[in-house]
Amino acid sequence: MSQLVLLDNEAVQALSDPMHPKHRRVLSHAQVVANRKQRATEIGLAVPTAVRVEAGWDRTAPSWSFTNGLRITDVSLDPAAANVAAVIRNDTGVSVPDAHLGAVIQSAPADRITVLTSDPEDMRRVAGDAAVTIVKI
Amino acid sequence: MALRDAAALAVKELGVAPSSTALTARALRTTLEAIVMQAILDGHYQRHPEARPDLGDLAVAAAEIDGNPLASEPELLRRAAVEIVERHPDASAEEVLLWAEARRASAA
Repeated sequence: MSQLVLLDNEAVQALSDPMHPKHRRVLSHAQVVANRKQRATEIGLAVPTAVRVEAGWDRTAPSWSFTNGLRITDVSLDPAAANVAAVIRNDTGVSVPDAHLGAVIQSAPADRITVLTSDPEDMRRVAGDAAVTIVKI
Repeated sequence: MALRDAAALAVKELGVAPSSTALTARALRTTLEAIVMQAILDGHYQRHPEARPDLGDLAVAAAEIDGNPLASEPELLRRAAVEIVERHPDASAEEVLLWAEARRASAA
């Protein structure tokens, strides 16, 4: 069974900044993912690229080297995902990054999807009928 | 040889991957990712010791990732982590979840 753990903007901010009040909390999730990878579990961390833009995460900037090293995969806003995200945004009025998160939740091939977010309500709205575990950070 | 045969059997009979080569590559990639990720985390913990999660933190995070109902009882998980680490210093977060479930079941 494959698992995907998605990050929203605040989860990215918390992970990247040791001074952030939620840093240790989000780091705990990253450590659990690392531990499970060590046991060959099919699990990964991912971030929609629109969320990365919102967070100001430039992978070429040295200040993001720690976060870059955590093997967090980019999920691009390709044409198909853009269509799904546009529908979500039209229907719910959420931000573009949240609509992209919703598109990933609704279309990712993983058996289990978890999203770390500071806004569970918006995540429930963008997830639609998709099965997702929402973790408030 | 036995490992190669087992991989071929898993591909043929269980359909776990398109080929034994794909299965091997996936396993190797996962292992390498785990090694790199842990090295990055260990370096971070050295620079920021206060950021290192304890076993209770990891148990809560594991429960949350899995949607385990115990995620709504973080104090129970933290107590279970303290208890289990006395007997098993190398216990994993998942073992804490099992311990906590067992304690709750026996108390019911």
